[in-house]
Amino acid sequence: MINKTCLKVEIAGIKLKNPVMTASGTFGYGQEYTPFVNLNRLGAIILKGITLKPKKGNPPPRIIETPSGMLNAIGLQNVGVEVLIKEKLPYLKKFNTPVIINISGDTIEEYIELTRRLGEVSKEMGVAGLEVNISCPNVKKGGMAWGTDAKATYEIVSSIRKATTLPLIVKLTPNVTDIKIIAQAAEEAGANALSLINTLVGMAVDIGSRKPKLANISGGLSGPAVKPVALWLVWQVFQTVNIPIIGIGGIIKVEDALEFIIAGARAIEIGTANFVNPRVTIEIIEGMEKYLVENNIKDINELVGSIKI
Amino acid sequence: MNAILNIKVNILSRKEVAPNIFLIKLLAPSVTQEALPGQFIHIKCSTDDYPLLRRPLSIHRIDKEKGEIYILFQVVGEGTKLLAQKEVGDNLDILGPIGNGFNIYPESRKIMIIGGGIGVAPLLALCEESIKQGNEVRVLIGAQKKELVIGEENFRKLGAKVDVATNDGSYKYKGLVTDLLERIIKEGWLADQIFACGPKLKLKKIVEVSLDAHIDCQVSLEERMACGIGACLGCVCKIKTKDKKEGKIKYEFKRVCVDGPIFEGSEVIWDD
Repeated sequence: MINKTCLKVEIAGIKLKNPVMTASGTFGYGQEYTPFVNLNRLGAIILKGITLKPKKGNPPPRIIETPSGMLNAIGLQNVGVEVLIKEKLPYLKKFNTPVIINISGDTIEEYIELTRRLGEVSKEMGVAGLEVNISCPNVKKGGMAWGTDAKATYEIVSSIRKATTLPLIVKLTPNVTDIKIIAQAAEEAGANALSLINTLVGMAVDIGSRKPKLANISGGLSGPAVKPVALWLVWQVFQTVNIPIIGIGGIIKVEDALEFIIAGARAIEIGTANFVNPRVTIEIIEGMEKYLVENNIKDINELVGSIKI
Repeated sequence: MNAILNIKVNILSRKEVAPNIFLIKLLAPSVTQEALPGQFIHIKCSTDDYPLLRRPLSIHRIDKEKGEIYILFQVVGEGTKLLAQKEVGDNLDILGPIGNGFNIYPESRKIMIIGGGIGVAPLLALCEESIKQGNEVRVLIGAQKKELVIGEENFRKLGAKVDVATNDGSYKYKGLVTDLLERIIKEGWLADQIFACGPKLKLKKIVEVSLDAHIDCQVSLEERMACGIGACLGCVCKIKTKDKKEGKIKYEFKRVCVDGPIFEGSEVIWDD
């Protein structure tokens, strides 16, 4: 038996204490979770998606529960980048955990301006990297439109690449015919890592009123229900690209996280599970340590992509 | 606001007080110390992935001395069904207390409390606190029919004057609780504050009547909720913003969970 294990991983040049990150939109701006989680223990914190200007978001109902999952159509409600810099990032500076900012925009110009602005303050405010959201299903413009077309993906990622030296993680949508082509386009355009999957587009209908249950009509499906889809796509992309992959989709316990790592993810993001169990991130980190010790594995990196086919 | 706790609490008692309506008593001293009338707890009802999300339920009564809280709820779906099946002695995983709570102004003397259906849930604790602060309290309860009138005696025991309206006239006044409110105002009993909880359309009407009579009115809102701690932005409602340039009413989406669940009635935008 070994008694010392290594959970450290490196993603896009960002050094993480462990592979557990928080999925954008499920962990607020970090502070919301401090009653439950010591933020110092997390691998990285990915913040609620930010846009150049504040965004009101979609009208309610914004969420509906579905079997072992939920649909959401928040619509990227956020405070805008200036408030983020002034009011949200200073709080996170006191923690010894990389902060990654998830960025969105309606146009290429907006993504670029947002990237530049965050680049300017990155040293002072402790921005470790950017996660580029080209996969949000709940906004009319931009969002998923970029991530469903390989050319558009290449165009947006290469434009952002030129605007910053910050590590770039590109977040992919599962709502495509072949995710491998999109993944390759992002890699060729200069992405340092890929995170997948964002939510699957879905809907729910009220049979009494015959209206959609979400005001936005459609929403993004997340939670345990999507895990098999996410795993399959992570494994597909793992066989296609050379950059690290961050696995996302329905992880609620350590076994789920390990499945993603074995299928090729170097790190994972925890999303919907934060809503159910606010301490889930810490429990999964502790579970990983235990698994490594019990299975006599010294370094979690040995596990990445170790699937036996 | 108080810190939100994530704890396991023991079920001390459980009773079906009306068809499909349950009252459970929980031992939760750390919650009662901080809890305010109008706040809620967020309960994990299942032990697996279905249903996945917690259920937000109002705190019905707070017994600080014994360290107990009461939850009154109606079975409406899978989550509340599982909760109703829990037994005395079981543990519940809860988050709480959550939310801002009702704001009873120190200068208030007369308070009107209005509950529609299961909307009475957060109002018993409020009634108790209002009376403790020296107010004269009147309570209006509205329900579909006699069997669904909940808590009438409990409010009365606290010292409030209680009136009841049933839609089908099977008990007391036949009609809507808002009719009762209008009548009482017309008779000249003017509250300094009105507090209400119930279905959205009823709340909208109560706010209209209150504002016509120039009475401050606070309402407890409900919305589909995920995290319950202000992170996911799922449970929003439309609230007027103070900036009134060009006479246009502007709004923003506020979180029912931590910005509410209690809002000034005059600030809520009621979309149909």
